[in-house]
Amino acid sequence: MKDKIFGVLQRVGRSFMLPIALLPIAGLFLGIGSSFTNPTTIATYGLGKIIYEGGLLYSILEIMSKTGSVVFDNLALLFAIGVAIGMAKREKEVAALSSAIAFLIMNTAISALININGGVESLAPNTTASVLGITTLQMGVFGGIIVGLGVAALHNRFYKIQLPTVLSFFGGTRFVPIISSVVFLLVGVVMFFAWPIVQSGIASLGRLVLKSGYAGTWIYGIIERALIPFGLHHVFYMPFWQTELGGSMVIDGVTVLGAQNIFFAELASKSTEVFSVSATRFMSGKFPFMIFGLPAAALAMYKTARFDKKQKVGGLLLSAALTSMLTGITEPIEFTFLFVAPLIYGVHCVLAGLSYMLMHILNVGVGMTFSGGIIDLTLFGILQGNRKTNWIWIVIVGLIYAVVYYFLFMFLIKKLNLKTPGRESDDEETKLYTRKDVEARKQSGKSSSDITSALILKGLGEKQNITDLDCCATRLRVTVKDESKVSRALLNQSGASGVIIKGNGIQVVYGPKVSVIKSHLEDFLESPKAERLDEILSGDTETAPSTDEVKSSPGGKQVVLFAPVKGFAVPLEKIKDEAFSKRILGEGAAIEPSEGRLYAPCDATVDSVFDTKHAVNLLTDDGLEILLHIGIDTVKLDGKHFEAHVKNGQRVKKGDLLITFDIEKIKGAGYDTTTPMVICNPEITESVLGFKYGEISAGDEFFSVKI
Amino acid sequence: MKQFEYTIRDEIGIHARPAGWLAKKAKEYSSTITVTKGEKSAVATKLIALMGMGIKCGDTVTVTVDGADETEAFADIKSFFESNL
Repeated sequence: MKDKIFGVLQRVGRSFMLPIALLPIAGLFLGIGSSFTNPTTIATYGLGKIIYEGGLLYSILEIMSKTGSVVFDNLALLFAIGVAIGMAKREKEVAALSSAIAFLIMNTAISALININGGVESLAPNTTASVLGITTLQMGVFGGIIVGLGVAALHNRFYKIQLPTVLSFFGGTRFVPIISSVVFLLVGVVMFFAWPIVQSGIASLGRLVLKSGYAGTWIYGIIERALIPFGLHHVFYMPFWQTELGGSMVIDGVTVLGAQNIFFAELASKSTEVFSVSATRFMSGKFPFMIFGLPAAALAMYKTARFDKKQKVGGLLLSAALTSMLTGITEPIEFTFLFVAPLIYGVHCVLAGLSYMLMHILNVGVGMTFSGGIIDLTLFGILQGNRKTNWIWIVIVGLIYAVVYYFLFMFLIKKLNLKTPGRESDDEETKLYTRKDVEARKQSGKSSSDITSALILKGLGEKQNITDLDCCATRLRVTVKDESKVSRALLNQSGASGVIIKGNGIQVVYGPKVSVIKSHLEDFLESPKAERLDEILSGDTETAPSTDEVKSSPGGKQVVLFAPVKGFAVPLEKIKDEAFSKRILGEGAAIEPSEGRLYAPCDATVDSVFDTKHAVNLLTDDGLEILLHIGIDTVKLDGKHFEAHVKNGQRVKKGDLLITFDIEKIKGAGYDTTTPMVICNPEITESVLGFKYGEISAGDEFFSVKI
Repeated sequence: MKQFEYTIRDEIGIHARPAGWLAKKAKEYSSTITVTKGEKSAVATKLIALMGMGIKCGDTVTVTVDGADETEAFADIKSFFESNL
């Protein structure tokens, strides 16, 4: 069960990557644009001559600010759609559409209820928001995520639903937006009553903060961070920034309420000698972890990413880190680990809170327009002078934060094997079927939909003949390479009421149930079953021995195996064990490891990890059986100095960590650590070739196997 | 078809190396040699399956020999178990 939840979380996290990839650029636009169009900024630095309303530069900045802001304003919608796409198993575009609709419906339901119950005025301040022009409750990204997850669940459950013939037009994928609308109408109603309770709880937390000095500042910081994923942070910090809750002060004879207002009044006043820390304590804490801490965390995530994914996640992490540093917009980076590793997010909240408290204690008085990046630090800290702001402490504490974040993230990610970007195992949806899947399906017999699909496929001249597959209300519309291979008889047998052949365009008429037929056929096309039509149609349930199956597949395939460990590659002859050197166990090569981390040499299924954790058997989709054996005679260590990171039956991708081991301790115990990798079933291989010997890094090409 | 039962005495059980030798031996005969422990069984020529059974010291296995040369194979395999495992 725990594994299942984890698996789901991992997929949710991955599905966030699509919208998150957009955030850094939007953040830069918003950060730069809004900082330099802020009237206080312009006035303080005398930029009024260059940047003025109506001027070219102002217009450009204003456009940047607004276009950046629109992304953040609609983040909930982006997440609703992104999560639905990520979580839907197939026909993802339908899930995306349904999710957008469900999101609108949920918010509109809330909006209608707000109106009925006396409008926005009857609700607590800062608890409502305008989403796509709909006045609704402020639910932040959380609102989008529940829509995305809910719709994906409905989609996966219903996208193949078959309705009675009269209603069958509404069956299959068409049913998904319908059911999603109905369900999220109800969710909206529930939210209208439930969400304000959550919001009022948050507001009362605010009052607690005020009563408790330095500790209060810490609590304020923790809560502010912890509320971000729920979009509730505005409810929480806005009162501090904008109302009496954040203090009141008389500046140049005018009473000013709220922390941010106090800071900006002091900024504008010529009489300010030192900025009031009682106000900036609700702001300054952002700088150390946004400019220093989180970018260091990004570096740690980069360092711990799988070697074959580093490049891919590098760009994402770098831009997210820069966004946080420059503009203080942290969502791009926080969302990369928040959902896959809630635990580190918890740690992050505590440290962020501590940062606020340290700034309070150290009397740092730097305010901000909306967040704590280098832009705001420069404008409101450095340029004001250290005497007024004590900004130097931000750098000192920040540098310590960078070190703490870096090592803490490194440690936690490795220790708990957290699936931060670049460490996730790949989706099962990448059309990779394990042998077990295939066999399970073979044994479970053939469903009637399989037989229908097989008939259609055979009737269309098999998989290779199909270039395009689609359907309209009643017909399957197919484009084929060679229409002479199409068989009307077989298609009719599959349940078609008519077949129309026009050149290479084929239409097969099934009636309204066609969308279900198409979904099944698409599944079928992607499965290995599409290659075994005759077997499915012949009624022969005998399962062929697995090796024969591989042999009969189109031959001449060459599989490249990558070095599983860093070290020095040697031929098997070098090994002081005849079982390996005389190739009793099979052909292959060995590596004298210089690093105690064994990785998967290719995509495969873990057939068995030895109880003693010193060896692992992998099975590839091509039927290759690979034995990775760390050290010679190390079975006698009985698992000591070894740690396995995979389980039997687990699917692994090239570069996944399989086993870690302590080279020094194993050598200390008197064992040779040379690690052979051999192919245990020579009967299916034609030749093993292309060996690379000498210095080698994990992930380099090692040798190839011709099947 | 012939079969015998055998209790493993070798302290490391049927591991990579012994499995390799057993598979090599089994390939010398045309008979199918199957090793069974409880509900699991493996054809002795299939190394991975053999190793995957995780047979340890003290486990009792049933070895079945079936085929044209089963008489010679039976004697040879039996003595292999007795002297190596």
